[in-house]
Amino acid sequence: MLLEIKDIHVHYGKIAALKGVSVDVDEGEIVTLIGANGAGKSTTLKTISGLRPLSAGRIVFAGRDISKVAGHKRVLMGIGQAPEGRGIFPGMTVTENLFMGAYARKGNVAKDLKEVFDLFPRLAERKDQAGGTMSGGEQQMLAIGRALMTQPKVLLLDEPSMGLAPKLIQQIFSIIEEINRRGTTVLLVEQNAQQALQIAHRAYVLETGSVVKSAEARALLDDPQVRAAYLGGGAAPAI
Amino acid sequence: MNNSSTDPLTRVRGAYSSASDSVRDRWSDAPGWARWLVYLILIVVALVLPADGIGNVMSPYTDWPTLLFFPIGGYILLAIGLNVVVGQAGLLDLGYVAFFAIGGYTMAVFGVKFGWSFWEILFAGVILSALSGIILGAPTLRLRGDYLAIVTLGFGEIVRITANNTDYIGGPNGIGGIPHPPTLTEWMIPENGFFDSLGLGGVSPFKYGALDGKPYYYLMLVLIVLAIIFVKRLENSRVGRAWASIREDEDAAELMGVPTFKFKLAAFAIGAAIGGATGVMYGSQAVSIIPTNFPFILSATILAAVVLGGSGNLPGVILGAFLVAWIPERIRGLAEYRILVFGGVLVLLMAFRPEGLLPSRRRKAELAEGTGGMGTMGAEIGGPVTVTAGEVKE
Repeated sequence: MLLEIKDIHVHYGKIAALKGVSVDVDEGEIVTLIGANGAGKSTTLKTISGLRPLSAGRIVFAGRDISKVAGHKRVLMGIGQAPEGRGIFPGMTVTENLFMGAYARKGNVAKDLKEVFDLFPRLAERKDQAGGTMSGGEQQMLAIGRALMTQPKVLLLDEPSMGLAPKLIQQIFSIIEEINRRGTTVLLVEQNAQQALQIAHRAYVLETGSVVKSAEARALLDDPQVRAAYLGGGAAPAI
Repeated sequence: MNNSSTDPLTRVRGAYSSASDSVRDRWSDAPGWARWLVYLILIVVALVLPADGIGNVMSPYTDWPTLLFFPIGGYILLAIGLNVVVGQAGLLDLGYVAFFAIGGYTMAVFGVKFGWSFWEILFAGVILSALSGIILGAPTLRLRGDYLAIVTLGFGEIVRITANNTDYIGGPNGIGGIPHPPTLTEWMIPENGFFDSLGLGGVSPFKYGALDGKPYYYLMLVLIVLAIIFVKRLENSRVGRAWASIREDEDAAELMGVPTFKFKLAAFAIGAAIGGATGVMYGSQAVSIIPTNFPFILSATILAAVVLGGSGNLPGVILGAFLVAWIPERIRGLAEYRILVFGGVLVLLMAFRPEGLLPSRRRKAELAEGTGGMGTMGAEIGGPVTVTAGEVKE
């Protein structure tokens, strides 16, 4: 296993956001966490990347317990995250944003920059524009591209489809598949379960801070309960 | 409905904005020699600034060279230091006066009680205030936004009140008889037609006495130039990029591998060191200092200077500090209406230029994005940086 999350608990003050979540991600996979608002999906990602401290449990990455490693050190170990709500640097240009992705490491940055521009030709067109002045879709591309600049072994994506037009969502998801094909493991958090389940290998369903179901993504697409709760199909009207 | 093409305020703002943009673009395209020429001209202007002819216009009510030393020079140096914390790293510090006070008291205590010379004390003051910056920062920089502002505000008050209640440093009476810096040389600017016409003939610029403010002003000028060079070099380095990323999105910065806590602490220490140097300078001229020399309102005034000038942009910050220090003295003739008019001017300037008089281009983009131009001021108690051992139950 590349990334093992073992029974983690996370609290915001006295409120438990995660009550024992366990997730495994194997090398080369796309794994997705789906669930409603407030289920703890983003908290799980933030805990993996070190932005949130955990109150119990363990996170093991490439065989090493990283539960107590500071966030900025996890980046160098190979955990790259595109934050929720396109947390790009608004005052920096596209190129400056991408260079920030290579801030902590040494080595050939130009080659990685070219690869990102390959993947997102749109970013190459706008490379001198300030990040904050771009459209939502472009900012999302920039957030993913910047995370790729950290040369991640596992790429954590937090709701990449949030607030985007359907056509753009399609585009972003096919790029995520392409990134995976090129050898990067992906852990994807999504409310758009339909899309996420179509590209993922395996999936976990989160509800109020716990994993309630885990299976092959394809199997969940046909699961009546999941269809009813998250895919807008079946008998129940819930979304 | 507000029609922007006819609204005079909008029109004036637009014209000013495009003028300052074009100056900035020209500056960034200017060749190296042109920049050095401008620097040289600025330094020459600064050198002849205390001349009587200029003073009669700028400061009809107060001794102009003394005014140039403090508040004008002092505020500028303080604003340069606070700009590192607020403008570059995006940390709201409302207790900056504490470091100024620590510098002032270092000068007083070591000068009066231990007989150290000014230069030794300047060094000690910088070290001590940087240390106090780290002591304040280490436990508090885990807080963000408003919470950090409140804690720093408290620190500023604690330092002043502690000074007020400590008999060793004179309590409310403060410390008197602080020595001036030793005279470097008795050399005198020759009294010939040229220098006399500038009003500088017969001045001893390196003799620090009780009467003439000019030598102190020149010393302050040297400190300001050194601080500008130091801060500007930092801004264009890896450290500067780390600060910019923390200011724009602290979580994202951590995700890029920036050790955010360490860099925030560094910003605090550097800002504090510059504040401390200003305090030592101030104490060496003032002869005596008391706790009420270091009120909260001074922190607020310096912050106003930074925001008014254009937080994060050094020329803007210097201009802001100059205006905030100079305007109240220039309008001294208005007697009791002075502060009212000063407040009115500040309100007008901010209505006219909410992003500051000379904002940086990057800061404009941040403002447009809605982060308020002061970094991620989101009020959140984040424990993002390190997981302390006690928090993890196995």
